[in-house]
Amino acid sequence: MSTPNHRLDALRGDAAPVDHNARTIAALAGNPGCDRRAVLDAAGIHKQNTAVHLGHPAPFGQSPFALARARSFEELVKADGCAHLLRLLRDTLGLSIPEVAYTDIADVGGNAAHQLRHTHTRAELRRAAEDDERSCTLFDHPLLKLPVAGHEVYLEPAVIAFQIGGRFHIVEIKSFAIIDETADSAQVAAASRLSALYVYALKALFEAEGIDPDRVSHEVVLVCPKDFANHPTATLLDVRQQLASLRRQLSRLTGIDRILDRLPPDLSFTLDQSPAELARAIRTVEARYAPECLSSCEMAYFCRADARACGSLDALGRTTRDDLGGLESVDAVLDLVGGDLLASPEHAEILGQLRHVGAIYGEHTEAKAVAWAS
Amino acid sequence: MGQLVGCVTVELDDLEERITELRGEIRLAKAGGDDAKVRRLRAELRKAERAWDDALEPDFEPDDVPLLPIREQVHQALTLLGVPSATKMIVAVNEAFFAGRVTTTQLTSLRRDEEKSFRSSPYARPYYLCPALTAELLSPARGLLAISTWPMDVRIIGPLSPRTGFLTSAIRVAEHITRLTGAGGDASTEAYRLLTRMARNIPGATEGFGRADPARVISAADAELVVHLESDRRHRREAAERATARLNEVTRLFGAGLKTASRSAS
Repeated sequence: MSTPNHRLDALRGDAAPVDHNARTIAALAGNPGCDRRAVLDAAGIHKQNTAVHLGHPAPFGQSPFALARARSFEELVKADGCAHLLRLLRDTLGLSIPEVAYTDIADVGGNAAHQLRHTHTRAELRRAAEDDERSCTLFDHPLLKLPVAGHEVYLEPAVIAFQIGGRFHIVEIKSFAIIDETADSAQVAAASRLSALYVYALKALFEAEGIDPDRVSHEVVLVCPKDFANHPTATLLDVRQQLASLRRQLSRLTGIDRILDRLPPDLSFTLDQSPAELARAIRTVEARYAPECLSSCEMAYFCRADARACGSLDALGRTTRDDLGGLESVDAVLDLVGGDLLASPEHAEILGQLRHVGAIYGEHTEAKAVAWAS
Repeated sequence: MGQLVGCVTVELDDLEERITELRGEIRLAKAGGDDAKVRRLRAELRKAERAWDDALEPDFEPDDVPLLPIREQVHQALTLLGVPSATKMIVAVNEAFFAGRVTTTQLTSLRRDEEKSFRSSPYARPYYLCPALTAELLSPARGLLAISTWPMDVRIIGPLSPRTGFLTSAIRVAEHITRLTGAGGDASTEAYRLLTRMARNIPGATEGFGRADPARVISAADAELVVHLESDRRHRREAAERATARLNEVTRLFGAGLKTASRSAS
């Protein structure tokens, strides 16, 4: 009987495993129902190369301009001893005037080794949690660690802020603008998923240190540019929901053997097979495509092509799929409306809605035709 | 470079040809007795000769070179601020008060050069630009520059020092503006912009979006500084004593990192 790790190594073949990072873990939580992504990630398979081999390369990457912009905004927020950040935290968290102590853990005595920085982070946070009197308030460049699918992943949140109320807050600095107190919902969702991951890792660290994990707040401070200026503003973000979904997803990752048990024993995703063979191998693992995947998963274009080819409702988005619950494909829906498929009692309501929408479309096109004719 | 030399040679050839032509023409005009033409041609000849001189020794130096070398300018800005400061702040102060042209990129190599110079001939210069030292490990603090002649405890960065440093520099900037206006002059727009930018992050230092008032900034920053100053000083003094006792003369200035041992060994 082979262990899950052996199976995963066999799936990857000779290629070197790709490490998880904060982005990939957050993306996992973004689509928890996708077995394909769970297996590929757990096995550490290079999804970009795989997608290229399959002929569906993802035409995105991280833009150097976006990275530079993000870096410069973060520098601005942290400049002059975190002057901007302190002002914002005093406003949002009610930080008192004496709470300004700042520790930078970007390196330990000039040594930036991950293990060392992580140990230092743990020591600093423990000291802060145990001793309120002399504790530090801002921890810059902390390094957290999280075991994901048997591998240790280092995570680096922007700042951890400690408040005298005895709670630790993750501060996330993002360079997308909050205009008129609203921001792009997709960006906020991505930021809250990422922050939830940091909250999760911090809670795990506290648990390991024997400190009450509830001292990590589920409210994250999101710092963004305000309106059209480069002036930072802060809002509190509740990440409880993302945290729950992340927890479920990570427990699924450790329980990856349940998915593996369903797969044929000789399955392999190595790139030395032909694209057709590889595609067949990958299709044995079920995917759950949603249009949102396009912005976070390298395999998205392959999955989309598949979803379209079999007329799956997934390609139309989650809302549509949920509205038409129980129906698998576009053809089935059309059959139902056309009367070819006998409507079962649970489909009666869906049928009613579809007919209603059909009637509205019908009226609309009729009205248009009349307008054109006159 | 070869291309540049080629260009200059072609230019010189043309000019020499023109000069010979002009000389010939002047002789002819003189023989013909046309004085007006002679004067015009001679003026043209002198112009060509000057151009020939310029082409032979082109002036590559830009006209507006600052009078002080970079390290002097950094020293000047740091002396005004009085606390270990980030390169960005040094550049901003230099621009606001000394009309200098120091850029952050020029400062990156500066620290390394200073350390090298000190190691090869210690105390040969009246001062060195060195990193501030962290209170915990006495290692160089990232991106913060200080002057070697400052007392040890001023060069130490404790947990509260980033904030006290910021408040102190805001006070220093405001005081310098007051000094300038008191002497009958006025500070530059950049200086006021810098002060306003700093004041925004000090509670009670500004109202609305207008230009910050130096006197108000000083009193607001002082009010917050009082809260932190005592424990910050205590922290720094402790660390300074440790540094004086344990570090040698190089690491006392440039910091003891965990990497220092391997670096000095190599």
